[in-house]
Amino acid sequence: MVWAQWRRFDGNRGRPKVLDLVGLGKRFGEKVVLRDLSFSVAPGQMFGFVGTNGAGKTTTMRIALGVLASDSGEVRWQGRPADAAVRRRWGYMPEERGLYAKMRIQDQLAYFAELHGMARSDARRSAAHWLRTLGVSGAPGDRLETLSLGNQQRVQLAAALVHDPELLVLDEPFSGLDPVGVDVMAQALRSRVEQGVSVVFSSHQLDLVERLCDAVGIIKDGGMHAVGTVRELRGDHRAVRYRVAVDAPADEDWAAALPGVTVLSRDAAGTLVELGTGVSEQTLLDAARAAGRVRAFAPVDPSLAELFREAVTATAPAPTADSPYAHLEAHA
Amino acid sequence: MSTAPTTRTAPAAESRARFWHAVRLVARREFTERIRDRGFLMSVGVMLAILLAAVAIPAAVGRGGDGEYKVAFSGPQQAQLGNAATAQARLLDVDLTVATFPDADAARKAVKDGDADALVGDGRITVNRELPDKLAAVLQSAYASVERGNRLAAQGFDVAAVDKALEFQPLAKQTLDPDADEREARKGIAVLGTIMLYGMLMLFCMWVANGVVEEKSSRIVEILMATVPARALLTGKIIGIGLLGLLQMALTATVGLTAASAVGTIDLTAAMVYPAVLVVAWFVLGYAIYACMFAAAASRVSRMEDLQNVITPMTTVLISSFFIAISLGQSDNTFARVLAYIPPFSAMLQPIQTAGGDLAVWQNLLAAALSVLALFGLVGAAARMYEGAVLRTGGKVSLKDAWGTRS
Repeated sequence: MVWAQWRRFDGNRGRPKVLDLVGLGKRFGEKVVLRDLSFSVAPGQMFGFVGTNGAGKTTTMRIALGVLASDSGEVRWQGRPADAAVRRRWGYMPEERGLYAKMRIQDQLAYFAELHGMARSDARRSAAHWLRTLGVSGAPGDRLETLSLGNQQRVQLAAALVHDPELLVLDEPFSGLDPVGVDVMAQALRSRVEQGVSVVFSSHQLDLVERLCDAVGIIKDGGMHAVGTVRELRGDHRAVRYRVAVDAPADEDWAAALPGVTVLSRDAAGTLVELGTGVSEQTLLDAARAAGRVRAFAPVDPSLAELFREAVTATAPAPTADSPYAHLEAHA
Repeated sequence: MSTAPTTRTAPAAESRARFWHAVRLVARREFTERIRDRGFLMSVGVMLAILLAAVAIPAAVGRGGDGEYKVAFSGPQQAQLGNAATAQARLLDVDLTVATFPDADAARKAVKDGDADALVGDGRITVNRELPDKLAAVLQSAYASVERGNRLAAQGFDVAAVDKALEFQPLAKQTLDPDADEREARKGIAVLGTIMLYGMLMLFCMWVANGVVEEKSSRIVEILMATVPARALLTGKIIGIGLLGLLQMALTATVGLTAASAVGTIDLTAAMVYPAVLVVAWFVLGYAIYACMFAAAASRVSRMEDLQNVITPMTTVLISSFFIAISLGQSDNTFARVLAYIPPFSAMLQPIQTAGGDLAVWQNLLAAALSVLALFGLVGAAARMYEGAVLRTGGKVSLKDAWGTRS
């Protein structure tokens, strides 16, 4: 039963999975935080996890890491329930950052590596390696509190990476980073993914998620609202949108009269229209040229941000056969 | 979460080994981070300085005040008086040295400057401030015997014959309580040890509590809990800080006893070392019990400011048992006698009552066994509280919530 549901939300059909979260449920007292939440992550996949505040992202991650116990459901790794031994090979960066302020940074990283099961000499070597790789400025013997905020955040990331984990779970890794920090973080995550590490992270910066992630999950009210690649979320047979800029009198509504064309918005950048099924973009172009000189004519893919906004707002269209969102199986 | 056994579940032995590996790592971090801390090294230095002062000052003061006197004699009979005084001093067990000065004025000046304790001559004893009773007895009887000899000679008696006739053995001394002195010394060690025990218990338990809150307030506990079980974290922290305390305690006891025996205050016999060993042993037991309670309480709060609030019950118990130990521990008080077996009070009361000679070894062992028993229960309860509370940030976690939920 649970498995059948999980299959439905498998955004990357056909790819083998390493991490499966199956039917997670969690309540704190009377408040239901997670209801039957499921998703899967493939090896070497970057999985972005988006949702409004309080949707259940952090709780999901805590349950995945075993910091919190779920009321129902299961966390599976390579097809078997994840236990402490398996989780030792994972890396975690919680949303609430924290390290030992007075501890020397290399000692600190080596300590975490050893807690994850590395031998002492390997741990020290790995700590030094990650301090170098992430460009932490400061001697290995410096205490954390003497570093700048940006450097402290790099050390924080290093703490999640230092034991060479097979899975990285990062809660809001980009929050509070300056643009350089964002690049360092993104580069570090990409290089991990290239090594075959699976990465799951949550973020409110949807442009980043869109740029980095192979797969995206939209979580809403404690359940997985939609899962898939950004392309899949957009949908292959989604209605086509065009942005057209025409030098025409401002009051002339040249597109509104066209059959099968819906005007979504009009502003200085042009008119955003959606073409109904069977309507050719050539018809639209002809109409535009008839109206005036065409300065711009381009197909528009909705950004993840738009998809997200559509998905989580109450006014999200009901999934009907005609709707461009039909493939997004609302899960409530 | 499902805990159904699968083929992947590690055997119990392996998971136990991993648990203790984590405990060792956590303990090692606590130990090495703190021993490198300048604050800790300074506290050890201050402690040792106070201890050395406590041992050395009474010894130094005792030298001038009791038992050892320098006396100058002047006048025609100074040699006779000096010999008689030396003989009397030997009889009365007083350490007396005859000091010689060029003349009476120089001797008087020496007395005034404190270089000599008394000057005998001109028919009087001159002292700077006061004449100790023992010295008075020695000098008066020396003067009496010299004067008697002179009078007898003046009357035509054969002084040597009289002396011979009056020769007798002084009264022999019999002590009914031969180790009373030693017992006093033992009590001294125990009082000093109890004060130290109290200070160290408070210091190291506060470190445990601070460490728990530090990890909670910095949120690092979430990363740690994703890696090691909460129990391993708690156990490692208590053991690591405890080892540091034990090291400091043993160092203090060794330095204290060595110094005291070096300045001659005590002889290093088994009877003298036992109270010190007892203090160290009860530090271990007392620390284990109090540290569990301090850690469990501290896990309820997320901010250092709130810590005092939740550990007040424990500090109250510790402080009151200290005062009971100091005020009633050496008296025959039934309340204190009973309390000496009840954990956690026993930690503070056992060493001091034993030093007074009131408790036998089997009674020490009984109290220790009761403490170990209590400790077993307490470790489980503290771990449960800690697990239930340590991830709940924000306000103070209620006892009910901490006890009831395992996150």
